[in-house]
Amino acid sequence: MGTPSAGQIHRLGRDQLASWVDALLGERKRVFAPVLRRGLRVLRAVERAQDVDFAPGRTRWSPKEFLFPRTETLFSYENRDGVPVLADPPADDVPRILFGVQPCDAAGLVRLDSILLQDPFYARRRELTTVVAIACSEAAPECFCTAVGGSPAGQEGVDVLLAPLETGWVVRALSPKGEALLAPRRGGWETAAAGDWEAALEQAGRVAGSIGRRELPAAWAEKLEQSFADPIWDELARRCVGCSICAYVCPSCSCFDVADEGSDACGSRCRTWDSCSFRLFTQHGSGHNPRATQPARSRQRVLHKFAFYPLQHGGRAMCVGCGRCIRSCPVGMDIHAEVVEVMSGRPEKEAGDVQR
Amino acid sequence: MSERAAAAAPTPNVTRTDPMQPAPWRVVRTEPETHDAFKLTLAPVEAGPPFTFEAGQFNMLFAPGVGEAALSMSGCSGTVDRVVHTIRAAGRVTKTLRTLKRGDVLGLRGPFGKPWPVGLAEGRDVLLVAGGIGLAPLRPALCHMLEHRERFGRVNLLYGARSPQDILFAKEIETWRGRFDVSVEVTVDRAGADWHGRVGVVTTLVPRAQFDPANTVAFICGPEIMMHFTQRELERHGVPDESVWVSMERNMKCGVGFCGHCQFGPLFVCKDGPVFRYDRVAPLLGIREV
Repeated sequence: MGTPSAGQIHRLGRDQLASWVDALLGERKRVFAPVLRRGLRVLRAVERAQDVDFAPGRTRWSPKEFLFPRTETLFSYENRDGVPVLADPPADDVPRILFGVQPCDAAGLVRLDSILLQDPFYARRRELTTVVAIACSEAAPECFCTAVGGSPAGQEGVDVLLAPLETGWVVRALSPKGEALLAPRRGGWETAAAGDWEAALEQAGRVAGSIGRRELPAAWAEKLEQSFADPIWDELARRCVGCSICAYVCPSCSCFDVADEGSDACGSRCRTWDSCSFRLFTQHGSGHNPRATQPARSRQRVLHKFAFYPLQHGGRAMCVGCGRCIRSCPVGMDIHAEVVEVMSGRPEKEAGDVQR
Repeated sequence: MSERAAAAAPTPNVTRTDPMQPAPWRVVRTEPETHDAFKLTLAPVEAGPPFTFEAGQFNMLFAPGVGEAALSMSGCSGTVDRVVHTIRAAGRVTKTLRTLKRGDVLGLRGPFGKPWPVGLAEGRDVLLVAGGIGLAPLRPALCHMLEHRERFGRVNLLYGARSPQDILFAKEIETWRGRFDVSVEVTVDRAGADWHGRVGVVTTLVPRAQFDPANTVAFICGPEIMMHFTQRELERHGVPDESVWVSMERNMKCGVGFCGHCQFGPLFVCKDGPVFRYDRVAPLLGIREV
């Protein structure tokens, strides 16, 4: 074993992962990791490694809330001599680590970056966050990362990748942030054996091969953009109840509402997650609603993710195939199936809902 | 504007450049315009960089404790020490704004959005076609053209209102009518016997305007259906789509292109618009509930 250096791949025993987490907590870093709560696997700020569920796999919610909170105050104000004087919310500058998220969730953060980095609150948290992902060891029936350019050992948005071995973990830094996180540990960690990393990737390849959901046909974004007037949207959306759980569990949905609370004397402005599936999303102050029906809203959701966004962002869908929306939908909507169905060469009908 | 907002914040930190923070502006004048529209004249409470805007841009006006609304400016464009909004009281925020009195303070952030391309209209005939409150965002364009009258060809204002009681800027319209260098045509959808003007939709005014279709720029602002039919009428008269510009309206929350509310197909009305060249939005205007 030579002198540990940047770029080196390490091999950790099972217990070493826990001691690493404890060491990070000891350095006053905030660690968000999967824990089991009332039967659900969720990401939480942990206080000791013992609480962490290190198994690979999906958490109920995506990690986006730790960078883009469900609700956050943008400013508060107080009326002083008739003038509202603004105050910023308290700054929170603790470095944080998303530990043990899935590679698709890390990719989801990259999608959020493309929209939200212009926001100073998000940008600050993003800067303070290091992402440690765990490669998937099995695919759930809803998974389709491979259809949208990801993989069970995907590296997009990942600072440090952990992959399960039979006897422990292989660890590799993939970014300068990841290097910085590993640097203090390298001395005490064993260098991976030749072939460890390849073995981990092979395992991920097998997981990818087990994903049953199809890849998308060529030129999917362009084709979908042409599907606006297809009556299939009415059919597909008939079931949708507009609950928007799909947007809430989504690692890449970034739309938000702005709510002003309080009175003339004092109050605050909050930002909360919002969804294009809600009727009020597009309703004007006057009551007029240019997107008044559920099929039109469902179409907007799918086309934004699979047509408008990719055509403006280098061909990447605003979807990472995590499958949470499919898993959570109360009426069994399936965004992957919808996309495939819209594109599956159904006979082109007369543009039924074109008015003019 | 954000610099000014930050100056007001007692604890400067990460939000220094937050585009979501409004600056305090004081109401210096309020005037009723029609039974449901009113005019607000605003001045900044704090000294700051000059406020500069172009015709067709909008601000987010904030009624503390109630909310914000995206509202076009109706005053003359340029660098200004007063900002003028002509607003129809339609929803919760605008109804609250109507109750403001001289001296009251509200929040303002802006200006946002793409303006009318008044420069492109230079040397060409101009058609300004407005429906209802849509005259407010067109007023700065007309204002600019009258100020630099020699730069433009024949200038036509075609205005359609619901009824004689809904006509905005009624006094000013009379002044414009008195000028020989601008043609003003007004019509209403319905009227009583005391109305001696035209009755009918605004498209019926197009044949009355004088313009060279091959060398004309048209700016249209009004309900989507009105803009659509106006464009069709202009097309019939030989004005190509590339010479027609429309101003769109959508629910907006951030005004700077990331909250997602104003999406219109692939476009964000707040930052890609609200003013669009017609051929860019034509395919979308033809689809129900984009």
